Amino acid sequence: MEPAINWPDLQGNILRGYRKHFVRHLVLTVDRPAAACRWLADATSGDDSRTPQITTAQPWSGDKPTSCVNIGLTASGLAKLGVSPASIASFPHEFVAGMPSRSKLIGDTGPSDPSGWKREWQDHERIHLMISVHADNAAIRAAVADRIMAASGAFRLLAALDGEDFPGGKVHFGYRDSISQPQFYGVHGPDNRRDDQPLVEIGAMLLGYATPVEDIRWRVPSPHVLGFNGSFNAFRVLEQQVEQFEQFLSECADRLMTDPVGKRLLPPGEEKKWTPPMSRRDALREMVAAKMLGRWYNGVPLEMSPHSPSPQPPIGEEKLNDYGYSHDPDGQRCPIGSHMRRSNPRDAKIVQRNTNHARRIIRRGIPYGPMYDPALPVKAERGLLGSFMCASLTSQFEALQYDWTNLGLIDPRITGTNDPILGNNEPLHSRFTFPVGEEKVTFRGFPHFIHTRGGAYLFQPSISAIRYLASLGDGKAARKSSGAAYVD
Amino acid sequence: MTIWAKISAFLRRIMETVLVAFWRKVAPVKTPEPEYSTALADNLQMHMNLVMPLADQTAVGRAQAVQAVAANIDELFTGLSNVGTVHFARFDLVGGNLCMYSVFDGDFRAYIRDFISVFGSVFDALLGLVADPPPSPSALHPEEFIDWIHRHDAFQIPRDLTSLFPEERNIKNLSRDLVLLLDANRNVQIGRFSGYPGVSVAQIRHGTGMGW
Repeated sequence: MEPAINWPDLQGNILRGYRKHFVRHLVLTVDRPAAACRWLADATSGDDSRTPQITTAQPWSGDKPTSCVNIGLTASGLAKLGVSPASIASFPHEFVAGMPSRSKLIGDTGPSDPSGWKREWQDHERIHLMISVHADNAAIRAAVADRIMAASGAFRLLAALDGEDFPGGKVHFGYRDSISQPQFYGVHGPDNRRDDQPLVEIGAMLLGYATPVEDIRWRVPSPHVLGFNGSFNAFRVLEQQVEQFEQFLSECADRLMTDPVGKRLLPPGEEKKWTPPMSRRDALREMVAAKMLGRWYNGVPLEMSPHSPSPQPPIGEEKLNDYGYSHDPDGQRCPIGSHMRRSNPRDAKIVQRNTNHARRIIRRGIPYGPMYDPALPVKAERGLLGSFMCASLTSQFEALQYDWTNLGLIDPRITGTNDPILGNNEPLHSRFTFPVGEEKVTFRGFPHFIHTRGGAYLFQPSISAIRYLASLGDGKAARKSSGAAYVD
Repeated sequence: MTIWAKISAFLRRIMETVLVAFWRKVAPVKTPEPEYSTALADNLQMHMNLVMPLADQTAVGRAQAVQAVAANIDELFTGLSNVGTVHFARFDLVGGNLCMYSVFDGDFRAYIRDFISVFGSVFDALLGLVADPPPSPSALHPEEFIDWIHRHDAFQIPRDLTSLFPEERNIKNLSRDLVLLLDANRNVQIGRFSGYPGVSVAQIRHGTGMGW
């Protein structure tokens, strides 16, 4: 029998998003392990006066707090806190090896190669801990982060990565983000289901439970108190080449303006029926962008509205995920090679027949850097601070990146092509094809629009596990400070 | 063979054994981990050459292995078909080893995970005949199972032998390094050929109208 989910034992950022508009990720080296352990004990003590508390998944009884705090540790961070080599060896090999060592597998090559990552990510062994502060505004974010750093005296700051929501939940490239997330048995019932996609076993996200892969259970690292209810986070700093992306859309639109297939893709005059009406060139730009992603900029899925971002009657917010691909086997509405359809094939026929729902991950991202304004283009680094959470990095995050994002193994008609937005593309070989009736449109020669600039595989321990880690400092820290002993 | 030739061969074998033991101690080589590549042809039609020593290598034990595979052959083949990424798979007895050779598309670990989920229970039964098997059932110990398969997968020697030892600075040592590599890896794949490189099994099925 499956254990019941112990909500107060889970970190709060795993199964739900806080929807805070401001985030700061503190990337840290542990300088003084004993002090770090004391901070972990204080941060799970229930006493906010010592240091901001790590937010649990316990449902909020009243108003949402104005800030939330969560942590993730690398394998070297666990070792630094005193976790034994035998215990670390019980963690999955890809986590212990670290994200940079998996670069070719996950497509971090060329401009995304770890050798070109930002300075703070270069020495992977020094990255021990990431504390994430989610806040309602920038002032609260800064205050909470400052309190953490002031209270601990244990950490050296390698980087403080700030992300801020854009209006309308959009991200760079202009798409609305965070519309679809997995829903889980035991978490989402008839009253709080967000869409009609199949529920996924909680073991896709937390260690110690049944997984979506039939009968398979991932190993819970030892000791059990450390591994159980934990989760992994592939944290990535993804720089987006917005100017190149915009230029590519313009080139595609220019071609479609003169190519007869453009008229079949978007019958002349249709763009005037959109809300708001658009010039034909702008509409074709948006059409290409939608084909690449699988949704229009405003989040309306192509599968539900293939010809217009503003269908009549409008599609309600609660219906934006109620679709599948089984009625669109050739990708006439949503291209098989689009980002969304590759990443989550839903009910489509795919090559690896038992993995339709087995590789689902939780994606939480927030933009960083200034919003791009084509009328006033400012050269600046901009992108996404992305957390990709799952229970098995290799069978979910890495399998997605390797098999589907970059190899296109999911369907023979796209094998050998990469995700047009996220994929490891280079102009000599890149190709994105979609059908328009009996014809095909193919765009070639586009670059890698998203460059990885840093990242780490993090373990997100349960609250019990954090108390266990705290106890490694002096053997008693957790019990002294919280009065709540961990249970192995 | 004359008596002198036999003595000479015997002495040579002794010297080789001593020399390899000496080399192993003073100049060990590490078996390289498989390198990932972004080239399409390097990610399709991957090979797995699983060599599993039988616990009982007598004719009786080998006959049991044949019977165990034969009894489950339909389930194994259905499972392999359902994985969706397998071009070919063969079950052989070579000496005292039960071998499974297969050609598949994509990541090795993803392949083995799919393998567990579609016919892990059948494979668990076969592993009951193998010496030093992984923990059973594989579904509850997927990481250990995958690591075990990886250890029993014959090392694949690349076309360019020198790429095996990127740290080696003296070309004269390459022969020694190769001897030590083979000392550590009894079973190796020496070369492979494909008549249609860079094509997935689903593309072949799709292209030939077999359905994928």
